[in-house]
Amino acid sequence: MLRRTLAALVTLGAGALAVTAPAFAALAHPIAVPKLKVVTSTTDLDDIARAVGGDRVSSVHISEGYQDPHFVEAKPSFILQLRRADVFAFVGLDLEIGWMSLLVDGSRNPKVRPGGSGYLDVSRAIPVIDVARGNVDRSQGDVHPLGNPHYWLDPENGKRIAALFRDKFSELDPAGAPTYARNAQAFVARLDAAARGWAPQLAQIKGKPAVAWHTSWKYFAEYTGMNIVGFMEPKPGVPPSPAHLAGLVQTMKRTGAKVIVMEPFYDRKMADFVASKTSARVLILPPSVGGAKGVGDYIALMRYDIAQLANTLQLATAQR
Amino acid sequence: MLRIAVILSLVATCATGVHAQRPDSTARRDSTARADSVARADSIALVRELERAQGAATPPAAPTQPSQGGPTNPRLLPDISVIGDVVGDFTPDESTQESGRRVDIREVELALGAAVDPYFRADVILGLSDVEGIAIEESYITATALPGGLQGRLGRFHMPVGKQNTTHRGELQTVEYPYVIQRFLGEEAAKGTGLWLSQIFSPLGFYQELQVTAVDHFGEDEEGLVTLRPANRSLGGMGFSGRFRNYVDLSQSTNIEVSGSAATGRLAQPIVCGGVASCDGFEGAPATVARQSVVGADVTLRWRPLQQGLYRSFILQAEVMRQLNERSPALPVVSGTTVAYAGPARDFDGAYVFARYQLGRRRYVGARLDWVKDPLNGGQSFKAASGYLQLFPTEFSKFVVAYERAMPSAGAKKLNRILFQSTFALGPHRPHPF
Repeated sequence: MLRRTLAALVTLGAGALAVTAPAFAALAHPIAVPKLKVVTSTTDLDDIARAVGGDRVSSVHISEGYQDPHFVEAKPSFILQLRRADVFAFVGLDLEIGWMSLLVDGSRNPKVRPGGSGYLDVSRAIPVIDVARGNVDRSQGDVHPLGNPHYWLDPENGKRIAALFRDKFSELDPAGAPTYARNAQAFVARLDAAARGWAPQLAQIKGKPAVAWHTSWKYFAEYTGMNIVGFMEPKPGVPPSPAHLAGLVQTMKRTGAKVIVMEPFYDRKMADFVASKTSARVLILPPSVGGAKGVGDYIALMRYDIAQLANTLQLATAQR
Repeated sequence: MLRIAVILSLVATCATGVHAQRPDSTARRDSTARADSVARADSIALVRELERAQGAATPPAAPTQPSQGGPTNPRLLPDISVIGDVVGDFTPDESTQESGRRVDIREVELALGAAVDPYFRADVILGLSDVEGIAIEESYITATALPGGLQGRLGRFHMPVGKQNTTHRGELQTVEYPYVIQRFLGEEAAKGTGLWLSQIFSPLGFYQELQVTAVDHFGEDEEGLVTLRPANRSLGGMGFSGRFRNYVDLSQSTNIEVSGSAATGRLAQPIVCGGVASCDGFEGAPATVARQSVVGADVTLRWRPLQQGLYRSFILQAEVMRQLNERSPALPVVSGTTVAYAGPARDFDGAYVFARYQLGRRRYVGARLDWVKDPLNGGQSFKAASGYLQLFPTEFSKFVVAYERAMPSAGAKKLNRILFQSTFALGPHRPHPF
């Protein structure tokens, strides 16, 4: 009898607690505008998402700006981030093919699965270059058959990414549509203003020959006018071989290329070797937001990379 | 009327495809692309005119580009991949491989995977070898939209017991499974056919996952043993397992996983009748079913600095397991003779420690220490120490050279094994679990 009474009291108490808990929680935490939870694969997408989303969006990124985005470890902690996400925005074009599916599947979140409301392949808004033609296989290296995925390094594509985020956030949060439109417009305006600022540096870069480590700099080259005459990698994703480096040295001497552009996550010893044979300079440029000190946002990234390239080309030219 | 015209224009623009592509830079001057650009600009201008007329705040659509070929997989074909595993055994006395060969294609795995429909994904992995022919290595559907964050699989899979049991043999960091796994779970790891459920928790702020399985039976019966009734005749004879993972990021570059596992089931174990290994009524080596369980704990420490991650990494992994055996299982009644249990009547322990350091972009060096109270040798202690050099020309090919000194029980001959392994991967293989 006593046991039954106690059990009934415990049940009633638990029920009362369950019913009243939300009310107590509301008192402790005033009602806030629910934020869209965004997870992005890269820091660049994260920064643009924050710029467009403003305080209606909370955004986190998976890879870091100083990390090779091809080789991100699918750590379980990332699954926890994706589990509650409303949007998962990724670069696409198989950039994340080595790790994304583990995280998306592991998240058990239908919103971020293919076909879900928050599954956002950003590449669909981009005019992609280097789309493979003819037979494609891995004898060509680590190819991206759908096209070159490093498109964020062209500020014009930064605008397209902002427009895509504006549309996606507006779709999921219609009440915030005016805010997203305003923020996207402001971002584009800031980007345009910055572009006017670095226009003189683009003139210094235009047509100048340079070598890049990986095909990741091709969009950047198209925007800046940098003329990539060769790559440190004989094929995408394949480390340089002595024979390839010897040929590259000859190419640089023939074309007058005096700069080797590379990301911070590659080993610069081989670039230093080539530079020593060609009187060139090795320029380590961050490929993404956070990839270097002071590169805290997308516009800062473009400004930094363009300025560094222009200065280095100028110094290299003066050295001749 | 104006609204209908706008909607038709937008449909025409959007119907050019979700995966927008455009010709590479050399083809941008193509007149067809220019005409498409003009049409698109007209559509956008039409939208803006409507917005001005209606005073609406509709944002213009993000610009899309004409599709250059439609969907990338219009025939809805599954992802197909192949992993080839070639092993060379240059142990001085004789090859220690199952086939007895010095160089052998140990296995070729053919994997197919795709979404079945919006609710399920299916993966099929077939193992092909000269020794075993074609076998279903794994074949399961995964439910991707279960309520409450549950994930479920139905089919055959590597059972989540310990850390390395779920890794396919050709994808191990070493040439073979650690000896404790070979002895307690099977030379090719423990697989089960049944149901697998997983739930993720994070009440303490870090990743925790509980995986439970219910399978047809746990483990492989010794070849030739015959029981009067199948081990899983009662539901209690099926195999069950549980694994509780705990993963913590210690820093951006370092993380640790500490997990516990348990598995149980009934297996055929030998009996003798009147002191001989043959009994009336048994068409083969007579056996009864006895419960066998495996409990274990594992820890994995990983270090990979994000910026130098292409060139430097380190992993330290250890597992300890205990095999628990039923001491006095029920024995069949055979008239005219006494039946005695001849299976394992004690528990066995085993463990391994493995470490691997990355020397450069393509080169790794590793070592492993094994220790197990060998159930195949009356519980005598078996130890082994091995070293590995790995070369990855790319992430799709691997070469391993290994030396192992195996030390069976005191008095038995020590064995020096020299092994070579080459693996290659074709096609879009799913990433390996972390």
